[in-house]
Amino acid sequence: MNLFRSEEHIARWLGERQPGATISVAKLVELAYAWWDDRISPDWRPHTRDENMAILERLGLTGAFWELA
Amino acid sequence: MNDADLELRRRTYAFFVDHGRAPAPSELGDPDDVVAGWRRLHEEHAVVLNPATDELRMLNPFSVVPTAYRVQAGGRWWYGNCAWDAFGICAALHADGRVETSCPDCGEPLTVGVHDEKPDDESLLFHVLVPAAHWWDDIVFT
Repeated sequence: MNLFRSEEHIARWLGERQPGATISVAKLVELAYAWWDDRISPDWRPHTRDENMAILERLGLTGAFWELA
Repeated sequence: MNDADLELRRRTYAFFVDHGRAPAPSELGDPDDVVAGWRRLHEEHAVVLNPATDELRMLNPFSVVPTAYRVQAGGRWWYGNCAWDAFGICAALHADGRVETSCPDCGEPLTVGVHDEKPDDESLLFHVLVPAAHWWDDIVFT
């Protein structure tokens, strides 16, 4: 789960490997806030799979690649 | 996850944020009880242990050990486990911050500030290699 300068850098880094998913850093920051915002709260409870899937779906991260176990 | 394990997790995270380092088991209580609790939390993906030593490896989004993702937030430097977690540290601390890393392809330094939950450089891209269903197969690799 890395940051890259551009699509060209991702492609070169991947080489022969199958690409995963690429999103903008703006979307990543949005995702990070939705996912981790409560992590050190004294009231933290484990997120359910459905809660986490709802975060991904709300941000448009859908399809087989983003399907959680 | 029972209330006692939730409380152990809460105290583990609080220690880490207060001190900027992971606690030794003896700093949280009876070492055997603490390690047993951490193991249960590890199984629930609520902390990540080094399986060889039972030492804390990740308190997601924080990394207990140095990584390629350095984060300045809340008056301290931290390490994130990956780019997602690096920004997650700003989120968890509810603080503006700065993420420093390098492009894995060319090694060029990359720095992104976060202000009011927005990055100050929107030109960069984030790539996830492993499909979500397999993230926890090997979380350190992911």
